Amino acid sequence: MNLQEFLTIFISAVFIYNVILSRFLGLCSFIAISKETKPALAMSFAVMFVITMSSAITWFIYRFLLLPFGLTYLRTISFILVIATFVQLVEMVIRKTSPQLYRAFGIYLPLITVNCAVLGVAVLNIDMFFVNGKAVAGSFYYTVFQGICVGVGYTLAMLLMSGIRQRLELCDVPKPFKEFPLAFIIASILSLSFMGFNGFKF
Amino acid sequence: MKKLIAEFTKGLIKENPTFILALGLCPTLAVSVSVSNGIGMGIAATFVLLGSSVIISFIKNFIPERIRIPCYIVVIATFVTIAELCMKAYSPALDRALGIYVPLIVVNCIVLGRAEAFACKNNVMASLFDGLGMGVGFTLALILISGIREFLGTGRLLGHTVINGFEPVFVFGMPSGALLVIGLLLGFFNFLKGRKA
Amino acid sequence: MINRLNVSVSPHIHNDQATSKIMWWVALSLIPAGVAGVYIFGSRAFWVITISIVTALLTEFLWNIVTKKKVTIFDGSAFLTGLLLAYNLPANVPFWLPPAGTVFSIIIGKQVFGGLGQNIFNPALVGRVFLMASWPSYMTTFTSPPKFLAWGLTKPMAYDAVTSATPLAALKEGKFIGHLSYLDLFLGNRGGCIGEVCIIALLLGAAILLIKGYISWHIPVTYIFTTGVFTYVFAGKQLFAGDWLLHILSGGLILGAFFMATDYVATPLTRKGQIIFGVGCGLLTGVIRVWGGYPEGVAYSILMMNAATPFIDRYTKSRVYGTS
Repeated sequence: MNLQEFLTIFISAVFIYNVILSRFLGLCSFIAISKETKPALAMSFAVMFVITMSSAITWFIYRFLLLPFGLTYLRTISFILVIATFVQLVEMVIRKTSPQLYRAFGIYLPLITVNCAVLGVAVLNIDMFFVNGKAVAGSFYYTVFQGICVGVGYTLAMLLMSGIRQRLELCDVPKPFKEFPLAFIIASILSLSFMGFNGFKF
Repeated sequence: MKKLIAEFTKGLIKENPTFILALGLCPTLAVSVSVSNGIGMGIAATFVLLGSSVIISFIKNFIPERIRIPCYIVVIATFVTIAELCMKAYSPALDRALGIYVPLIVVNCIVLGRAEAFACKNNVMASLFDGLGMGVGFTLALILISGIREFLGTGRLLGHTVINGFEPVFVFGMPSGALLVIGLLLGFFNFLKGRKA
Repeated sequence: MINRLNVSVSPHIHNDQATSKIMWWVALSLIPAGVAGVYIFGSRAFWVITISIVTALLTEFLWNIVTKKKVTIFDGSAFLTGLLLAYNLPANVPFWLPPAGTVFSIIIGKQVFGGLGQNIFNPALVGRVFLMASWPSYMTTFTSPPKFLAWGLTKPMAYDAVTSATPLAALKEGKFIGHLSYLDLFLGNRGGCIGEVCIIALLLGAAILLIKGYISWHIPVTYIFTTGVFTYVFAGKQLFAGDWLLHILSGGLILGAFFMATDYVATPLTRKGQIIFGVGCGLLTGVIRVWGGYPEGVAYSILMMNAATPFIDRYTKSRVYGTS
């Protein structure tokens, strides 16, 4: 477990293999919600929270339940159930404790269950930090940290996109490209720009 | 019977899940690097769509309203696991190529979307044809996108060289190129739609 | 010009003729660098520049026709995009490469956003990164300048092979570039892209623009200064031992800072915003040059800051009209 690894995870998750612009996870929510900054930010925080927590929980499940009992083929089912349950729990808790917070982003929470990013990162963590059926040293910390970084990368992409799209509201975009097509083209250019960080070595 | 055929064909063009409904874009962009990957993913997704649409339509009257989404997810996840295991056994190369996007079929908006929008409200036969149509439409969209990307990005189609001396445009094999292709295709289809109107 | 109700940050007056005049003056001020590039790299550079400009104009013209809008090729922006893109290319690229770049620049970098004044990103740079990603080998193969400036002031270039590295590429590989002096770099006696090597020609053009008031010093100076400081601190074998002068004179920094990071449309409107923009570009360029895989990061840095510009504008806009 060393600093180098953490830095690499950070640069990879936020820039080089940005969850949206490079891995395409969470694309549906990205295209749909990145039109305005406030909802984009709310969604981003919710996503970051859910991804981090579910990364941790699924790590435990894999390490202490699926692996020892040879049930790794149940990974997909168990992970998605865990995520769905967790999101449901969080929604109930927020609704009870803070109606304001619930109004702010409670509506996005059910959407996150099917946000590819959550399940995708959970699976990715396993692929990256478990080698030959054994957990890599420090894999729990790497897993949680990657969850946080993916959230940061998601937030960055959402923020940049919402800023750009809000400005384009006032522009004379050719009709066939309005809304979605242009959003994809912008994402394409952003993806190209982020490639500048390829081969990053600290 | 005619009605059933209609349920099938609508998934191909009029309500194509990728280009018209804009669903399931995450795996579409990720796996469309080569046509063989696209076809593989299309078949896997169609299998899951078919199976889950039929089963969900079958049991729709027995599921309590409040827990219907988790129930759908369990059904879908089961089919995905079956598909995953079959792929690992019979074509491990495809499994490696598709990577995390196979288990991600569980949260593919197309699958859950059709369950929510159609299978839980219609009978088994209609759901079967709807699932099949959506799956085939998805596969066709995948073939189109990956065909463009593979040809421009590597100069080959399905592994065979098409034009000699073609300088491959590497960006199309990259995420940026994928986003570009779908942006331009969506723009193109919008343009066609606009002309028809 | 059709009048549209635009709710936006000041300035609100868009003067078509003024925009056009500025574009052509920028193009004019870039001519010294182009002449130097052709002198240093040979006639092929001239053809690359010409093909680039012609295809840029043609693309814009065809787009105007197809979308049934006013023909805009005389406003100078397509000309400028073609020129700037060519300046960002090595002289020995195959002749089909510039057209691919200009078509991408004009259509994807500018027209799909709605044309001039509405692009988020600098079109020439969009084209450049597209070309870098698509044909990396062609974009990073530099031949040694056939003509070196043997005025007795500089030593002749000593290159290993026909395809030779630029100073930054050599730095990235840890190779020693002792045969180059700062004067060599200043005059352009090195491998590189057509329009980026001759610093003195670029500074001449920049001076013209600054004097005429078409660009302001805020972005270029903060950009170059930040890059210098960053490389001084981090680019050496230990901290505070970096060769900042080498970094400032190498790569596309001078070209980018004065002519592309100052793009009116894609950069912040307020002075404060411009300084943030300059610092951001400088930091990103430094980070990529020192720790990234690519030897040069100017294009990527500017594009990333272009993306952040809507935000910078929003949070730095003046609260009272008329003050800044």
